[in-house]
Amino acid sequence: MVSAATVAPAAPQSLSLPPPQFARLQPHAYLLAHLSPPVASNQPSARANGRAPSQFRVTSANSGSLTHTNGSGMVRLGDTTAVCGVRAELLHTEDIPSWSVSQSSNANKRRRLADSIKLSGQSGDHEETEAEVEEDRAHIEDLNLLVPNLSLSTGCAPGFLPGAPPAALTQALSHKILSLLHSTRLVRAEDLRVWYQPPNLGPEELERHNDEEHMDVDADEAESKPAEIKAFWVLYIDIMIISLAGNPFDAAWMSVLTALRDTKLPKAWWDVDNETILCSDSIAESRKLSLRGLPIPSSFGVFEADAAAGWRAVVIPDGEKLKAEEKKGTVQKWILADPDGYEEGLSQERACIIVDKEQNGKTVIVSMEKHGGWTVDTEDLRQLVDISARRWDEMKQIMDQC
Amino acid sequence: MSKEAPLSVSERQFILEALRQDARLDGRGPDQFRPLSITFGEEYGHVKLQLGKTSLVVRISAEVTQPRDDRPFDGLFQINLELSAMGSPAWENGRSNDLEAYATHVLDSVVRRSNALDTESLCILKGVSCWSIRADVHVLDFDGNLTDAACIAIMTGLQHFRRPDAVVKDGQVIVYGVEERVPVALNITHKPLSVTFNSYNDGKNIIVDATLKEEQASEGELVIGINNGGDVCFVSKFSGAPVDAMEVVVKSNVALEKVKDINTKMEKAMQADLAKRAKKGMADLSRAENDR
Amino acid sequence: MVGPTASLSTLNRADGSASYKCPATGYDVLGAVNGPIELPARRDALKPEDATVEVFVKPGNTTAGVGERYVEGILRSVLGKVILGRERGFPRRGVVITLAIVGGDAVERGDSYLTILPALLHTSLLALLSAAVPLSMTFSATLLGVTKSGEIMPDLSAADAKTAVSRHVLAFSSKNHLLLNESEGRFDFNTWEQVRERALSICQELTMPGSDGDVAMGDESDGSKVDGFVRETVEDRLRRDYTWKIDS
Repeated sequence: MVSAATVAPAAPQSLSLPPPQFARLQPHAYLLAHLSPPVASNQPSARANGRAPSQFRVTSANSGSLTHTNGSGMVRLGDTTAVCGVRAELLHTEDIPSWSVSQSSNANKRRRLADSIKLSGQSGDHEETEAEVEEDRAHIEDLNLLVPNLSLSTGCAPGFLPGAPPAALTQALSHKILSLLHSTRLVRAEDLRVWYQPPNLGPEELERHNDEEHMDVDADEAESKPAEIKAFWVLYIDIMIISLAGNPFDAAWMSVLTALRDTKLPKAWWDVDNETILCSDSIAESRKLSLRGLPIPSSFGVFEADAAAGWRAVVIPDGEKLKAEEKKGTVQKWILADPDGYEEGLSQERACIIVDKEQNGKTVIVSMEKHGGWTVDTEDLRQLVDISARRWDEMKQIMDQC
Repeated sequence: MSKEAPLSVSERQFILEALRQDARLDGRGPDQFRPLSITFGEEYGHVKLQLGKTSLVVRISAEVTQPRDDRPFDGLFQINLELSAMGSPAWENGRSNDLEAYATHVLDSVVRRSNALDTESLCILKGVSCWSIRADVHVLDFDGNLTDAACIAIMTGLQHFRRPDAVVKDGQVIVYGVEERVPVALNITHKPLSVTFNSYNDGKNIIVDATLKEEQASEGELVIGINNGGDVCFVSKFSGAPVDAMEVVVKSNVALEKVKDINTKMEKAMQADLAKRAKKGMADLSRAENDR
Repeated sequence: MVGPTASLSTLNRADGSASYKCPATGYDVLGAVNGPIELPARRDALKPEDATVEVFVKPGNTTAGVGERYVEGILRSVLGKVILGRERGFPRRGVVITLAIVGGDAVERGDSYLTILPALLHTSLLALLSAAVPLSMTFSATLLGVTKSGEIMPDLSAADAKTAVSRHVLAFSSKNHLLLNESEGRFDFNTWEQVRERALSICQELTMPGSDGDVAMGDESDGSKVDGFVRETVEDRLRRDYTWKIDS
């Protein structure tokens, strides 16, 4: 303080603001000044938080942090933290209203399907049949076996007040997670089924079952009754965002992934004598879920240099013209990977790319979204997919270690 | 803005004075409804109703669920009315208001609790599965008399709706698609409708089917739910100025007349539509045969 | 394939309204726009220099759930960018868009909202035009599916969409910017580029006038003219509204 006063005693104090105040008063100019520093200053272009545009925040993942769940995971993405707990509950098929209901067109198909899956289920990583895909959908989606629920808890960010109904953001995130679980078919329906193989029937039982309906059935079917599904595991996937500093989706989805990779289901079987399902308490007998792939999300926000673009009655350049201008570098925009809360407030256009890699290292896009603006197009998206693919490698390592 | 624009003093005066001289703004008599138009969408139970400038869409849907534990023989029936900013800018999306609660109560009483739809016929397998029928009311334009309009539309929808056929076989319920088996009409026990009366000038003028402006100028309301046979199933003198007890009896007769009239119109519109469908169905059938 | 049908200003109470029907998916959507209106005193939600865009999606025969909130978010971000919310009379006000799905099957819990997204986008655009809300551009959207054999399918029905390997909804502005992309399934970038190209040609046809046969020859098989269709609908309405003027 003393030195400042002695060096420039005449300088009017009002003209210089400490950076935090500048950031609050002129957020757009502040971030722009960081991204395009004056040439003279010789500073590299960086974001206000010191990251390069395509740099993600330091990410850490931890699994099995909650003890009373079947599987849990915690993911930290800078200051954004998400915890996910998976709890498996048994759902008896008798309690499913639609279980005893079948559409006449596929009434017979269903039983046959169940058989074929039982046979092929064990043989591991073979090409999936269409029937299997269909059966997966029928069970997981129609019976709602996966129930994700996300909550943005009070205090995770200043905007969340206690006692308020779930915000639109919360609901939208819950839906995105659920629809992604469905569309990636991450969880196998086979892992969630509890089968029962009835023993070969004794003569008196045979008699009882052999009414008109069964007379025309093949004799061999009467001998070995087909295995039946007695129950399903329903996975309640609860995600809590403890601290929100931008990009809640990436953190939430990765916490779901970590938790599902950690989830162990106890061995369960149908007990004929008690007519109920019993579970083994031995950990050795429990088994992990075998997930399909590892879809990793990368979210981006677009920051445009022209602060006025939003309010001026702009003449929007044609798509072609825009491309030409971009080549010349007159349109300035930065695509910021993994935006923090401050950057999210400054970018309207968002993109989210979810990629997976096959065994041979080929990148597969599982979901690609962008909306809220018109600047990001093919070339940008191609780069973003590359960045997301690199992010996949990084995240795979992190997840394999936890 | 979450209030309708209030009626100006001179408008109110005008309406009241006109009524004193037995005239209404649109030239109707006191016991006259606005022109009613009922059309149907592609699906069964999709009704578009226009009553003057009030218009709404009702959709009936059915699905198989589990009956309630205390009523294993009964199916479920639910009326769902949600007012959105579409009907009137005064209504806020996602928030219920007084009118919504009131209209839901009247509809529930007149249609659901009077057992117009025989819920026992919705049972498929005792305690295991039953049909759940749902009526969704979308208010597109609101110009008064929401309850009566919604009531007519729901009753039309219920009579027009066809649910898929379902049979029980070995404890398995099999639902047949619309292409496989002729879908089944719902079992309607009686056809009650509500008729709303508004009173003016100390109960001297009582009119039916008030427009929004007339509703705003009204001093009291009387709702009578009655069926074709003249059985009253709902009476509500919910709010506003008192009405002479004899008026309730007199107006019940007016309501009966209105209900009979509307039910005839409803029947006519529905028969015309069903005949059109049957014709189209025949045409489709013959075309399919030609293909073969 | 029959193209979509639409009409403008079908309702009386709302400031602007439109009904839109897509034959491929069977969706029939009614849209109403109220704006600029005074929003109730939720002060924190009001932006001092910009209009607040509110979108509300009302499903036809179920209660609204998380899926609706999600699709509302997407619509809000697209429309928020298109609506010139800083024009005179709009700052601190609200533009409320209500979309009711009056025809077609309900979207089940957890199902993707992609199949209905183009219909919702078109309805809201037409309703905004009908309400004379200032817009920076018009747009058009389309849904494409990629089958197992790598074929790109336009005019997806809801059942087709379920069997497709990947599903894409793209929206282009009248000046060919990519306004929205929502893709799901399994695909690689090259496939997406092909999808984008195809979608652009479909959407352009939908905005450009003169689809009377002499322009679009090669792509006639797509049969859908989204962008030109938007224009035609508006022109039709104008012609009807201004008959008195045109005649004299």
